[in-house]
Amino acid sequence: MLLRIEKGSAVPISRQITGQIAMLCASGKLEPGERLPSVRELARELAVNQNTILRVYERLVSDGLLEMRHGQGTFVAKDAPESSLAVHRERLVEELRQLARQGISLGLSADQIHELLAKALEQLQKDVRCEI
Amino acid sequence: MNPIDKNMAAIDIQAVHKSFRQNEVLRGMSLRVERGHTFAFLGRNGAGKTTTIQMLLGLLDRDEGSIRVLGLDPEKEPLAVRAQVGYLAEDQTMYGWMKCGDILRFLAPFYPTWDHELALKYAKDFEVPLQQKIKHLSKGQNVRLGLVMALAHRPELVILDDPALGLDPIMRKQFNRDLITHLQGEGRTVFYSSHLLYEVEPVADVVAILKEGKIVRQAATEELRRDVKQIFLPREAMAMLGEEASLLDTRPDGEEVAVTVEGAAGAIEALRREGVEHRVVDLNLDEIFEAYVTGKVDEGEIGKTERIAIVT
Repeated sequence: MLLRIEKGSAVPISRQITGQIAMLCASGKLEPGERLPSVRELARELAVNQNTILRVYERLVSDGLLEMRHGQGTFVAKDAPESSLAVHRERLVEELRQLARQGISLGLSADQIHELLAKALEQLQKDVRCEI
Repeated sequence: MNPIDKNMAAIDIQAVHKSFRQNEVLRGMSLRVERGHTFAFLGRNGAGKTTTIQMLLGLLDRDEGSIRVLGLDPEKEPLAVRAQVGYLAEDQTMYGWMKCGDILRFLAPFYPTWDHELALKYAKDFEVPLQQKIKHLSKGQNVRLGLVMALAHRPELVILDDPALGLDPIMRKQFNRDLITHLQGEGRTVFYSSHLLYEVEPVADVVAILKEGKIVRQAATEELRRDVKQIFLPREAMAMLGEEASLLDTRPDGEEVAVTVEGAAGAIEALRREGVEHRVVDLNLDEIFEAYVTGKVDEGEIGKTERIAIVT
């Protein structure tokens, strides 16, 4: 599981991690039943406070995306409800809205913004291919 | 060692004043650090961070107010405090001619609880070259040797004065990892000062902002980010922001004004109630800090509001 923390971002770190794990679940990169790193391991890996990681896991458990099994660790839920993914989708829509607003304030047209998004997607797909 | 009450704060500072001749550095400062927390103490250069830390260790006396560190008054029992606290000074100077291994052996007898095996283990974890002379260490190695020296007596509380100063980004990350694994992971209390806010955010449970000799805000890191936001709204709607929100900074933006508020939830609710068109922007910790320390509120003459750039 590769997560990327952007320091100094206006998006709080806990929300960055929550969003990225949710995305990995939604895209199938994290498969149902897969074990996540322990709170301690992930905290060390990302150099992020253990309490923050714990809150992220708890949040995702209460959203139904993850499940904690006593003494065994944290796993991707076998049957993640569609609704919990919808919450994260809403958040994404909100972020896209903010980006679109920034684009407009930079004087970009709708077409230009679409083009930039298409380029970003293209770039991302290239990266994904490289990883595989 | 004194028996420790579990409910007692690790650090309790109340209404402390401290002046150096005419210069009043602390003006009734209060803060409280709970046990097991990682507490970031933030302020601009010269705000009084190091002065505060020196008083916590009994290296400086206060003029007024009270200070308790693990229940002890550092002014009356400085040695007892220092025996239970790990301390890394801002510019730790150590005997340059000594080898790292030698200084660890040299320090051991000063602390009744020194654990030399632990010292050697930390030295290994932190990649401190024991055979090397201190004067030949890099800045990063120096800080990490200081950290070994601060931790080997298994202190309950660790006080670090700007530990990230002079470390490169890779070393800062490594340092944060060490802090998370070796200190937070073991349930110790960490009190550290810093002015690199983006480094503080991932690590600290609680932050406190020192300005003009007082704490202007102390809050859980995530709560602070939820509570302080920038709101864009029409100038004439400023008055609708509600009672529970307090303004930290205002700046004009065309027909609108960008207002940074504390108590964002209340302000947004009030604007919604009044049906005022507005836009909410999340701020990063740097921006929040800036709003507290250099924010300017000029309700009458918003057009003339100027902001001072922060120097870090």
